[in-house]
Amino acid sequence: MQVLSSIGSQLVNVCSALLLLTCFAIVAQRRLSACVDLFALQSAFLVVTAALVAYLTGNQHIYIAAALTGVIKVIIIPRVLKKIIDRLNVKRELVMYINVQAGLLICGGLVMLAFFISQPIIPLGSLLTRDSLAIALAIVLIGLFTMIARQKAVTQLVGFLVMENGLFLGATAATHGMPLIVELGVFFDVLIAALIAGIYTNRLQDAFDSVDTSRLTALKE
Amino acid sequence: MLEATTLIVAQTTVLLAVSPFLVGLIRKVKARLQLRRGASILQPYADLAKLFKKQPVISTTTSWIFTATPYIVFASTLTAGLLVPTFTSQTPMNFSGNIIALVYLLALGTFFLILAGLDAGSAFGGMGGSREAIVASLTEPAMILSIFAIALTAGSTNLSTVVHKTAVLEGIMTDPSPHLMALAALFIVALAETGRVPVDNPATHLELTMIHEAMVLEYSGRHLALLEWAAGLKLAVFLSLITNVFAPWGIATTVAPAAIGIGLLVYIIKIAVLAVLIGVLECMFAKLRLFRVTDLLGVAFILALLGLLFFYILRS
Amino acid sequence: MIAVVVLLVAPLLAGGLSLVVRRSTLLHVINLISLGALVTAEFVITRTVLRDGPFTALGQLVYLDALSTFILFIIGAVGLACSFYMRSYMDEQVAQGVIAPTRLNLFFFLFHMFVLAMVVATVANSVGVQWVAIEATTLATTFLIAFWRRRESLEAGWKYLILCSVGISLALFGVVLLYYSSLQVLSDVSQGLNVTQLLPVADRLNPQVLKLAFIFILVGYGTKVGLVPMHSWLPDAYTEAPAPVVAMLAGVLEVVAVYAILRVRMIIDHAVPVDFTGGLLALLGFASFVTATFFILIQHNYKRLFAYSSIEHMGIAMIGFGVGGALGTFGGLFHLLNHGLAKSMAFFAAGNVHRRFHTVEIDHVQGVAIAQPWTAFGLMTSGLALSALPPFAAFASEFQIVAALASQGVPGVGFTGTEGMVTVALSDQFSRVALASVFLVSAVLSFGGLLYRMTGMVWGIPREGIVRGEIWTLGHLPIIFLAGALVGFGFFLPQPLQQLLEQAATILVIQ
Repeated sequence: MQVLSSIGSQLVNVCSALLLLTCFAIVAQRRLSACVDLFALQSAFLVVTAALVAYLTGNQHIYIAAALTGVIKVIIIPRVLKKIIDRLNVKRELVMYINVQAGLLICGGLVMLAFFISQPIIPLGSLLTRDSLAIALAIVLIGLFTMIARQKAVTQLVGFLVMENGLFLGATAATHGMPLIVELGVFFDVLIAALIAGIYTNRLQDAFDSVDTSRLTALKE
Repeated sequence: MLEATTLIVAQTTVLLAVSPFLVGLIRKVKARLQLRRGASILQPYADLAKLFKKQPVISTTTSWIFTATPYIVFASTLTAGLLVPTFTSQTPMNFSGNIIALVYLLALGTFFLILAGLDAGSAFGGMGGSREAIVASLTEPAMILSIFAIALTAGSTNLSTVVHKTAVLEGIMTDPSPHLMALAALFIVALAETGRVPVDNPATHLELTMIHEAMVLEYSGRHLALLEWAAGLKLAVFLSLITNVFAPWGIATTVAPAAIGIGLLVYIIKIAVLAVLIGVLECMFAKLRLFRVTDLLGVAFILALLGLLFFYILRS
Repeated sequence: MIAVVVLLVAPLLAGGLSLVVRRSTLLHVINLISLGALVTAEFVITRTVLRDGPFTALGQLVYLDALSTFILFIIGAVGLACSFYMRSYMDEQVAQGVIAPTRLNLFFFLFHMFVLAMVVATVANSVGVQWVAIEATTLATTFLIAFWRRRESLEAGWKYLILCSVGISLALFGVVLLYYSSLQVLSDVSQGLNVTQLLPVADRLNPQVLKLAFIFILVGYGTKVGLVPMHSWLPDAYTEAPAPVVAMLAGVLEVVAVYAILRVRMIIDHAVPVDFTGGLLALLGFASFVTATFFILIQHNYKRLFAYSSIEHMGIAMIGFGVGGALGTFGGLFHLLNHGLAKSMAFFAAGNVHRRFHTVEIDHVQGVAIAQPWTAFGLMTSGLALSALPPFAAFASEFQIVAALASQGVPGVGFTGTEGMVTVALSDQFSRVALASVFLVSAVLSFGGLLYRMTGMVWGIPREGIVRGEIWTLGHLPIIFLAGALVGFGFFLPQPLQQLLEQAATILVIQ
């Protein structure tokens, strides 16, 4: 049993690390559709992590959350985003505020920051999820960075969704899932937010002939 | 003493035998994915045999470097192969710090290949040489950093010890996050060093894109055979390194015949899986423009750096 | 509890009906009935809370104490005023052909969902549900802000959606951390985010985790409040959204977001020295206050002027909560109410001015007193109230806050330490005097800036081509009503409201 839980804990950590790795891939990726694919991949890793935690802790309701993640974040949202990209006819991010290497270095710094911040509180958690809280925070911060560093509305949305993935990882791995009503509410909000942002990108395209948010400069002091 | 000699002979045989197979396997996978039947997996063996029978043509403008290079490249790559555990965690050349020797043996081969490319004085050779120099100078830091990240987690710079420690460990790995970062970095490095897509395309002789092929353009006969074989060996070395450092499960940790038999079988399966993966990736991705290659290798470098940093954060 | 059910069902039902009803009059009637029901339910709840103290309802899902009842009161009051104003505002927009009549359905639907989300955020027992509801307010309002579908309004709506969603995601991380801390203490964790579960064990929660949680929650909900430096969406959204929507955003949504911060702080203060949360709140409060004052002084757009004034007043309220104590907290809560009333009135007036003058430039607007006497009255009154002049109630609340600041100082500030080579000895008294001075100087500057602009707009002679004279409509009723309330509260606070405020302040102050 001891060996099993130790292997389980390591598997959870491996999955969390894979989530973090896909984050870096998203930061390094210029092609929009590849960003969306990577997001779907990340969500798939998230499903695996959640299912592992559910299995190892015996909390049945995490299975529900994992299934919902699978349906919403692996299937529905990537499809919607792909459709938007097809319609917009934008393939890649030609100009970024920050180039890829600098972006990756900053993300590395963010990861360290996340570990530094969560260092004092990690020992409180169970052995199963030693690093997951820190990794979750790191993913949230990298998602935030993606939203700042990218110009296209679609990639900003992907950044937001990455943040949500980080939050879900934190909620699942560190606290073995939030109360079910909260989980459901969060899923509902994320889905609606993604759909609304999708509608926005269409309207922005119609109004500005572009989804480049750096063109949104009409309002300022 | 006898045991060491046996091990050297065994590992040399395995590496030499397995490397054309890997090349053939990747070609076969690519052909199948492109809906072609493709040549037999054993075709590279036949190619080598044919080339060894042919007489090499050597340009009169070349110096001794041109003639010596195939032997140096082949020998250095094979020696590097003896430093890496393959089917058993015991390596033939087992000394502390051999992880660093590995990097420099491979770099030696690259260095002579570049020199030979320049030596013939053709435009292609020079172009290929300069491109290879760019790629090599960018991969080397990433490779050294990722190897250090691994060495740190295992607490040793002896590859044999690194692999042995992970193989006998209960569980899967000691520090997943640094390991995964280093693995991703090393995989990109492996693609670049062995001249695969998206850095180089081994299947083309298009002057705009070729790197490795441009350098060996002047070679023929047994010299070419040696260089091709060395390229295959390099691939085998990298694949062995990646599989055994990150997933050493099933490797022989004792010298019992049964363990070695299982180890050999598992080893071949593992590197074959990796080779198939490379084949699939080559079909999925286009070759990068040369100036974008630096981006990719920069990613590898930063991933390796992060792996290293992670180790310190997690251990502090 | 029927009142609680009414509170939740009224906006839900009204939202559903708004989608199917065709006639615009009926839409307004539904709106009025729904908010009327809300206010009535609120009065019933106030009586219950004052008589019996805090209670839970609907199987632990709802928790109502004096604080949440007080917030409900603000929602109800401003909401009702809004629905009167919407009658004239929306009808005129439809009559002028600015919006198609069919889009009214969407407008009312989103409006009701917005109200529902705010009510849920206020009455929710679980901090997690509260988060869900506050994110829902973002989703409901983003299309209301972008309702005109012009380029600028799309830009404002997108910024609002992205910034607030990001901010609120950070707040969710704080909520996760709060839950993480409750796991160590509570045996039954299925309701581990409920205030009723957390409060009794709050002093046993891990302080390290709570500190981290509070920082995330403060930054997250602070974005929604519009605290500097997370405020950049706010002036844009307030300029572009239709006037009734802005009145709700400025008057109520900010208050609900502040309430969310206070709710969490209530728990955290049991385990962490009050210096920590108080110091952070006061820091953000001062940053917002001073920055907003600067922007008020250089502003040429009257809607943005009011937007920055919102940031300023939220900063003032935050300083009140940060200073804490009975006086500071009472002042902060009272200020939330006064600001809500005054700011919604200001945006009603601004909406009227915009419809008549078709510009948001202060320099292009002159002679509102001649063109629109009633609106001019509203504009001037709200300007005076927002400058916190006596006899308006805002004067009382700001005075309480600055008195608390001068007598208690900001917790955590006033330290002796070594910085580099120089030993900084910031005595307690010095810091109190310094901070109170900063407060007063900023208040005077913003007073000057605001009134200078207001008088410039109200007096003078209107441009050629501006219609003079104003027909009395239902839309003017809330302006008169709110002006009366603002003056009235300055002299005399009705007994139940007074009690509610005092009890709410007691809840927030940790003995």
